[in-house]
Amino acid sequence: MTIGLEHYLFVSVLLFAIGFFGVLLRKNTLVVFMCLELMLSAAILALIAFSRYNTTPGAPLMEGNLFVLFIIAIAACEVAVGLAIIVALWRRHQTVELDEITELKH
Amino acid sequence: MELGTVLSIILLAPLVSAGLIWMFARQRAALAMTLSLGAAGVILLCSGWLFFGLWDGASYEVSTEWLTLGSFKLSVGFLLNDLSALMLFIVAFVGFWIHLFSVGYMNDDGARGRFFGGLSIFMFSMLGIVLADNLFMMFIFWELVGFSSYMLIGHYLHTDEAAQAAKKAFIVNRVGDFGFLIGIIITYWTFGTVSLTELEQAAGIRPEAVTTLMGLLLFCGVLGKSAQMPLHVWLPDAMAGPTPISALIHAATMVAAGVYFLGRSFFLFTEEALHIVAWVGVVTAVSAALWAFAQRDIKKILAYSTLSQLGYMVAGFGLGTLYGLHHAGDAQTALYYGIGASMFHLTTHAFFKALLFLGSGSVIHACHHEQDIFKMGGLYKTMPLTTLTFAAGVIAIAGVPFIAAGFFSKDAILYVAKSTSAPAFYLLTGTALLTALYMGRLFFIAFLGKPKSKAAEKAHESPWTIVLPLAVLAVFSIGGGYLILYPPSLQVLIHDWVPHPHGADHQLMIIISAVASIVGLVLARVIYGAGAKTDKLETTLPPVYAISKSRFYFDEIYLLYIRKVQDRLADIIGFLDTLVISGVLVRGTAGAAGLLGIVARRLHTGSVSTYVWWFFVGLVLFGAYAGGFLEGILK
Amino acid sequence: MTTQMPIAFLGGIGEFLQSAGAASPVLNAYLVIFAIAIPLTMAIALTVSGKLPDPAVKFCGLAGFIIPGLISIWLAAIYAAGNHDGAYAFQVVRDLGLERFGIRLHLGLNGIALPFYVLAGIVGMAAGLYAIQSGVERLRLYLILLLVMQGGLMGVFSSVDVLFFYFFHEFALIPTFILIALWGRSGRKAVALEVTIYLTFGAMITLAGLIALYVFSGAEHFNMAALRIGLVEAPVQGTIFGLLLIGFGVLVSLFPFHTWAPRAYSTAPAPAAMLHAGVLKKFGLYGLIQLAYPLLPQGAADWAPLLMWLALGNLILIGFVTMAQRDLKVMLGNASVMHMGYAFLGLYAFSTVGIGAAIMMLFAHGLSVALLFLLADVVEKRGGTADMKDLGGMGQKAPVLMGLFTAAMLASIGLPGFANFWGELGIFVSLFNSDTPWVLYVALCGIIISAVYGLRAVASVFFGETKGEFQGGDIKTSEKVPALLLLIALFVIGIWPRLVADPANEGVEHTFPAQTLTVTLPSTEISMTK
Repeated sequence: MTIGLEHYLFVSVLLFAIGFFGVLLRKNTLVVFMCLELMLSAAILALIAFSRYNTTPGAPLMEGNLFVLFIIAIAACEVAVGLAIIVALWRRHQTVELDEITELKH
Repeated sequence: MELGTVLSIILLAPLVSAGLIWMFARQRAALAMTLSLGAAGVILLCSGWLFFGLWDGASYEVSTEWLTLGSFKLSVGFLLNDLSALMLFIVAFVGFWIHLFSVGYMNDDGARGRFFGGLSIFMFSMLGIVLADNLFMMFIFWELVGFSSYMLIGHYLHTDEAAQAAKKAFIVNRVGDFGFLIGIIITYWTFGTVSLTELEQAAGIRPEAVTTLMGLLLFCGVLGKSAQMPLHVWLPDAMAGPTPISALIHAATMVAAGVYFLGRSFFLFTEEALHIVAWVGVVTAVSAALWAFAQRDIKKILAYSTLSQLGYMVAGFGLGTLYGLHHAGDAQTALYYGIGASMFHLTTHAFFKALLFLGSGSVIHACHHEQDIFKMGGLYKTMPLTTLTFAAGVIAIAGVPFIAAGFFSKDAILYVAKSTSAPAFYLLTGTALLTALYMGRLFFIAFLGKPKSKAAEKAHESPWTIVLPLAVLAVFSIGGGYLILYPPSLQVLIHDWVPHPHGADHQLMIIISAVASIVGLVLARVIYGAGAKTDKLETTLPPVYAISKSRFYFDEIYLLYIRKVQDRLADIIGFLDTLVISGVLVRGTAGAAGLLGIVARRLHTGSVSTYVWWFFVGLVLFGAYAGGFLEGILK
Repeated sequence: MTTQMPIAFLGGIGEFLQSAGAASPVLNAYLVIFAIAIPLTMAIALTVSGKLPDPAVKFCGLAGFIIPGLISIWLAAIYAAGNHDGAYAFQVVRDLGLERFGIRLHLGLNGIALPFYVLAGIVGMAAGLYAIQSGVERLRLYLILLLVMQGGLMGVFSSVDVLFFYFFHEFALIPTFILIALWGRSGRKAVALEVTIYLTFGAMITLAGLIALYVFSGAEHFNMAALRIGLVEAPVQGTIFGLLLIGFGVLVSLFPFHTWAPRAYSTAPAPAAMLHAGVLKKFGLYGLIQLAYPLLPQGAADWAPLLMWLALGNLILIGFVTMAQRDLKVMLGNASVMHMGYAFLGLYAFSTVGIGAAIMMLFAHGLSVALLFLLADVVEKRGGTADMKDLGGMGQKAPVLMGLFTAAMLASIGLPGFANFWGELGIFVSLFNSDTPWVLYVALCGIIISAVYGLRAVASVFFGETKGEFQGGDIKTSEKVPALLLLIALFVIGIWPRLVADPANEGVEHTFPAQTLTVTLPSTEISMTK
């Protein structure tokens, strides 16, 4: 069996679904955050796969890879900011459970 | 100098005086008096010049455009003819003497600046009515005299009475002006002009365009200004103003403006309209004469007498013009008989009523503002000159033959009444008797007998500024029926336009007048006695007195209307405005928005996971829409 | 003739003004910009300057109000002297990079705009003078807001470009809300909120109508002159006119969208009430006259029956509401709503007489209502309350105040000699020639109603026994100067109405398509057939 584009995409969708439902259902902020990262990874995987399989020999398509680099850079920033927020939340509320944080109201 | 320039000076002199007083002399009483009296003097001199030389008696008209809006053009200008010249003479002459009287009468008043300023404004507005050459200009000055009347009635600020009277006068006049303005606008759209001379020509060429409605609407203005029934209620109340004001505005000139206007626009009245005009006048004349019997206040008696005499004039206009229409063949000027009869009575009335009011002012001044005739008495000893001149006024208004101006003018009105309508003739003759009776009552109770109060005992003759105008006016009240007293250029109207009875009618008129006046005066002496302390009518015939006192409940009915209808309606509409529009509609909308907000707020838990769920739902819906799954549901 | 000398004198002035207008057209056009820029510059100067000594603040404020006022009078004089025949003059056009959307900065004045422009100038001067001496807390902020308002007002009436016309209106409107919220009487917060929502709502509908007008007319530029070239099709006209009528109607307090007005004016600080009731409110009717009526005659005809009833609602119903008021300022607010009925009736008559008279009426009303709010504020300061039941007998203690107030009140109820009379008279004359002459009879009831409430107010405040406490003596000179400024303007137009009537008349005749304004007047030469 040759590994084709659809296999990569299947894994990517799976990763994305896991991440998405994690965000939707888990209540711990840290876990939600990791699920977000999972979704980003799914996107990265899909982009690289498209980039690899849509290319004609001799004229490689680099747009997908380019996007991936951007996503990695932004994800790094996001992690930094996100973790800082979580730490700040912990300091303030002594909890990182989402159900107990309702400050977005008002 | 040109005629137009002189007329401009006459019109503008009082305005300039009023402006100067307002700017510089509010606190300087002497300066205000000088300015105002000076303006009145300038008016008198200029009009004297006019009558004794400058004006040749031909109709003179000049006008200039004042406002243009599309096809609507409004001009201002002067129209000097026999009629306006006579009115100018009255206003200038009587006005000057009343100005002089005011100088003496108001000497202890604290707000003389305001008073004399108002007096000048009044002269300006009144002269504007007199000289106006078109209806809109007349309306403008018509409103302005209303304003000056308002200001001067309310002169005694601190009394509630003055405030109410001033307000009432203005509003009642506005009610009259309501019809007046509609009448003018209808006239304008019917004939395309409001110039009096052009209107006269146009009405002559197209008599069918003159409608009864037009005339009656114009007559509404007269109802208000000349205080005819049913808009007469303001005039007795207006006596709350200072006495010179009552003499000048509410007896001699302003209230006569209505009659003058009728004369100026007589060609706009159809026969039906003239009948109504005449009967309004007759009814006013009779009723007001009846009401005078229940009054104790000297000025109120004179006020009702003014009402009655104004009724005479209006009736004289209506009956005289009708007479002229029916007997047009008699004389060239027969059509002007209405004008002649009413204007001649207006002239003599201006003299003797001004005299009577000024005389009452002299009495009030001497008795320290006591106005009840039953608290006066015996004034003939302390105030001989005032008594004498007042007696001249009483004789004049009673119409004693040949020695009273009122005799000649009343004569003319009674004569046209006799020839036009028998019931009107009987009623007016009865009124003449009543007039002599109530004037006799006033004179005998207030001036003869013994003093009935401290104030009357201590009364003293007034200074010359008060007595001189009385003397001059007394001369004119007695001699005003004879042509010799008038400037030559004014004699045309009085000689040719006033209907004169001939032959048997002539003798009948003399007998009627003699009987009515002398019987009236003698009866008054017999019934009331000299210097009576109580009202004989009240003690002996209470029901008659009560009818007289009721004044037919006009005031009560109007008050009831204001209290129960107008104010109620205002309150109800105000309440509904607050409740329905402001409350239900505006606040209701705000409330609905607020309710929606409360519901929408429930969706905001503040928890991230809820929002993610909403995000998910939105995503699914968006996907469904993009995939075309929703179309079936939406249709 | 008798008037030769003054005419020669006036002719001399006229020649001077004519040469001044012809010599420097560019300068005069720039003056239009200055009139907007100077108040705004002063506002910015006051904002960035930090704490300044009191006289400096007052001087900046004064300059920001007086200079535009003088400019407006100067331009009006030049306009009257040159033969502009009601067309646009003093035009300035600047590109702002928005040409693709048909938008340019385009200023100028025509015969219709001119009276409103001068009104803004004069009332602005009076409001500024009154504000400077009022001694409120945080005077600097107070003046900044009023100056922004003034700049906006000068801009509204000199804008030819419709977007700027709308934009300047918002510019003037927003400070009103803040002024009410910060310096108002009791209940200011709620009122400020209500007014903000109500007027913003009205402005949005107006904007929708204006954009629809632009789109459907197919005009190249979004300005008043260009819009007049294309004509919108008949069925669309009705819709657009409806939007404009309701939108502008809310802003002018057309019945039944009027309830904000009395509340706002009675609560607002006097200078804000003067500027808003006197000038800014006229924006709505100005828009109707300048845009809606000439461009959408068919739509106007469709809406005329409804407009007639609404205008009568203003006149009669609100007239009665006014009669029932006890608070002087609320009463004046209602009275100003009532008088808008006259102006709407003038538009309803849809003739040169009616619309010209409506312009005169609005001009005069702006002056008189500003004067009344100023004097009512003085009365309230002296008597400690504006409740007429608790006031009385002020006439003996403050005769000058009484004289001014009585004059202002009589002016507003249409006494000849003051400007208001001419407007009302013209409207009455035009009404009889409309399709429904009976409206004249109903409308004239207004003069009785206004006399009733006007004189009641004068009587209860100034006549009779002295009631309540009275502090501060007669009206001060610093209060008297702005009052006299307005009164003199009313008086001058009252005796020489052509100053306003001529530009208004020419403007209307120039702006409106000739066939829309046919008035049949019976000829002065008498014909036997009619």
